[in-house]
Amino acid sequence: MTATIVAFRLGDRDVEVMVRPLATLQSVLREQLGYTATKEGCRQGGCGSCTVLVDGEPMASCLLPVEDVAGHRVATLETLTPPEGLSPIQEAFVDAHAFQCGYCTPGMIAVATALLDRDPVPTDAAIAEALAGNLCRCTGYRPILDAVRLAATRRAGGREDGR
Amino acid sequence: MTVTSYVRPGSLPEALDVLDREVESLMVMAGGTTVMPRINEGVAFPRVVMSLRQAGLDGLGVEDDVLRIGATTTLTRLAGQDAIAMLADAARSTGSWTIRNLATVGGNLFTPSPGGDVAVALLALDATVTLASSRGGRTIPLAALSRDAPGDRLAGDELVVELRVPVPRGPTAFEKLGRKRSDSPAVVTVAAAVRLRDGLVSEARLALGAMGPHPVRATQAERALVGSRLDRATIAAAADAAAEGGEPATDAIATGWYRRRMARLVVARVLGRLAAAEVGGRR
Repeated sequence: MTATIVAFRLGDRDVEVMVRPLATLQSVLREQLGYTATKEGCRQGGCGSCTVLVDGEPMASCLLPVEDVAGHRVATLETLTPPEGLSPIQEAFVDAHAFQCGYCTPGMIAVATALLDRDPVPTDAAIAEALAGNLCRCTGYRPILDAVRLAATRRAGGREDGR
Repeated sequence: MTVTSYVRPGSLPEALDVLDREVESLMVMAGGTTVMPRINEGVAFPRVVMSLRQAGLDGLGVEDDVLRIGATTTLTRLAGQDAIAMLADAARSTGSWTIRNLATVGGNLFTPSPGGDVAVALLALDATVTLASSRGGRTIPLAALSRDAPGDRLAGDELVVELRVPVPRGPTAFEKLGRKRSDSPAVVTVAAAVRLRDGLVSEARLALGAMGPHPVRATQAERALVGSRLDRATIAAAADAAAEGGEPATDAIATGWYRRRMARLVVARVLGRLAAAEVGGRR
């Protein structure tokens, strides 16, 4: 078994890690880099709790060998959080009570960030479609959809009732 | 984890060389959405895993009325192409955004039922599969690849490198019924492509997913269509024939009984859409 050195961009940091063959981005983030916002859920790509952004695209980090992100940009909840305070999407999640246990939240926020980057004023259907791969067992989803809508509305400078 | 080596060849010849060298305990993966779960769960424990992600097999483009799709083209990219709208629909219906960003068209051919929705669309579109090995290449109809478990049709030293899909000249339609609208394995998946001449069906291909261990053409139903008008009686006869075929499994998504019932409904809906498209197209 040969360990490999992998270098990639994590937020605004360049990181270098020595990894076992086929180590996943998810396990390396948590266990080697201490970036624990990215959760281990089903390890099947089915729950969305490990979702990160690679070059801005949401991906299941439990299915992604870290060697495949060499030279790419990775964003996690830590890197999406500003040095002071919270991002507008995070604030919207707080204000809309869009989490209880919080396990799904880092993945939800990663997908919401990618969605609003592409589609600043998404329809309800587009929000639901974007988040379809992210499971939440607490909220029943309504507050999460509300939060994404709220973040979009605030960004657009509109009314906060989401209409 | 028992994997001792993760190899990422940078070209097809290199990949074929790995395939020739590593005859034991090798798993080939593209997007990783079916291979990685098996490794993560300890269901599969290969010694060597080869990724095709860097092998330069991700082309996508139309050439002489044929859409050429590299094996490692992601479903997100396939969903974004507009040469064959039905294929884009099939890609969008598969998995979630995070999965479509990883999953590949070539890999979808090997995704066990009730997955493999893109393969159902490709089957109805009469796609061919180009295989490569260090001995040379060959092109076979997708129908031949999926007649049995897809892997059985590949020699041990062969890789799927490309799919070629003739741009359809007649109406096409795709529909997938899942347990929810997005990110659900199929209760049943239906794809159809027909040609009509003077209002009569001259050519019909109807493919079903989740009605057996792999996507199948509903040949009885196709026979019921050819030579007839796409009217209610013909559609009903074809839908009945399609729903009778296959061996739908009972699993966590649906019972086999329910799949048959839904197959009839979804086939009728898809054929109805073809009939409407034909009427609209003639106006």
